[in-house]
Amino acid sequence: MNKITINLEDIKLESTDGIEVVIGEASKFLNVQSVKIKIFKDTDIFIVSNNVDIKLDFYINVLEGVRSNIYEIKHEGDYKFQYKYYLEKDSYLNIEKINDGNNIKEMTIINLNGENARVDFNLKTVSKNEEKYNFLVYHNALNTSSNILNNGVNIMDGVLEFNVSGFVSNRIKGCNINQKARIINLTENTCVVKPNLFIDEVDTVANHSAHIGTFKDEELFYLMSRGLDKENALKLLIKGFLLKGITNKDDLENIVNKYWG
Amino acid sequence: MNILKIENLTVKANEKEILKDFNLEIKSGEIHVIMGPNGTGKSTLTKVIMGDKNYKIVKGKITYNGKNINKMEVYERARMGIFLGMQLPLEIEGVSNADFLRTALREKEKENFKLLSFIKEIESLTSKLHMDKEMIHRGINEGFSGGERKKNEILQMNILKPDVVLLDEIDSGLDVDSLKLVGESVMEYFNERKPAILLVTHYQRLLDYIKPDFIHVMYDGHIVLSGDKTLALKIEKEGYDKIVGNIHE
Repeated sequence: MNKITINLEDIKLESTDGIEVVIGEASKFLNVQSVKIKIFKDTDIFIVSNNVDIKLDFYINVLEGVRSNIYEIKHEGDYKFQYKYYLEKDSYLNIEKINDGNNIKEMTIINLNGENARVDFNLKTVSKNEEKYNFLVYHNALNTSSNILNNGVNIMDGVLEFNVSGFVSNRIKGCNINQKARIINLTENTCVVKPNLFIDEVDTVANHSAHIGTFKDEELFYLMSRGLDKENALKLLIKGFLLKGITNKDDLENIVNKYWG
Repeated sequence: MNILKIENLTVKANEKEILKDFNLEIKSGEIHVIMGPNGTGKSTLTKVIMGDKNYKIVKGKITYNGKNINKMEVYERARMGIFLGMQLPLEIEGVSNADFLRTALREKEKENFKLLSFIKEIESLTSKLHMDKEMIHRGINEGFSGGERKKNEILQMNILKPDVVLLDEIDSGLDVDSLKLVGESVMEYFNERKPAILLVTHYQRLLDYIKPDFIHVMYDGHIVLSGDKTLALKIEKEGYDKIVGNIHE
């Protein structure tokens, strides 16, 4: 199992099966560390961050025909991370990310450079302070697909923002872009979703949806009509919302229990 | 003996009066059927009994075993033993049926809750109701057909074992086989536990399987006519217009 652990300023690598990893400095002047990962065969990668105290740039390159899963989780800490993904021909990358940091700023740039490259991105976050996520998804080759799902529960002093932009240039035919963002805002604070599609090619299938709000009264009524009090009904709805589509549910269940008992 | 009593109940939603001076008493071991044209307040009645906050009680009271439940929360009514099988059961993404029912049953049974018995009962019920065994691990009603949703309501009823069962158009969306299955399951539950049942339906066909003690015709927010099972047959033959018209003449 490939595992990268980041504690405070320390980046550790456990095993390298199907990947090459280079850990270094992206910018000495700006004090930014970097992790460069080349994925050359089908594999899974786990990235676990705790109390991180550094700025970090990830460069992740998925080679031709390779299928990979990246499971990432962040605990505590203030994060300023940047991710650049490069997907070659016929490659597939599934990214599942669980965030439970204090403050998070992320920039994610996905380059679908090879024909038929496909990315599924699924973010779940519990936002307690300031969290801002920017995405730039470039469909640079024919028949490429991106599926970007961002789900967050905003609590306490949380201010959560998702900005997602997808790009398809003229003559890049057969692309499929899907962007979905939903924020359950349990505060009076303002949350933002900005879905953008910059498409200059008619042969493209594009969908986007954005939702900010709480759960529906009908959902609460349904659960409460079976004997769940409001607190338990809400917890169940939050759990369902966060766990949906996530493979490693245990970590996320622990996070739900941490905030909702 | 449990008694649900509704006295002079007037209910508004968005400033519109839906139930008007409504009266009804249901006891354990009785099956009451409410029939009536669309928009007469049948579904509203079941939701108000369950405590839906979208409806405002402006007059009258609902009592359960002598206790006024007008201001009681939805979950308190459920824990007292009132169950509403809904006309349009919601799809709730991500919340698995198993998780939901386990939590609900744990709330009800507290320290008496036994996981193994719960799992065995679920298995037996899914088989009895001809439901896909995997559905219990899927989100609540997620991807379920109309018929599967109704069966899921019946499954929940059997798990939670309520003393008062409100079933709002449990027959809609069911094919003939599922209608028989659901009807027989309700009757089996009735024979075993003798709850008080209030059934809302448009069609006599469900009553081939569920044998009512009383049929009530509801019109303009209150009951205008009551009778036995023959009244349902008469409605099917003559239609509401004629029956309600005769009363008003």
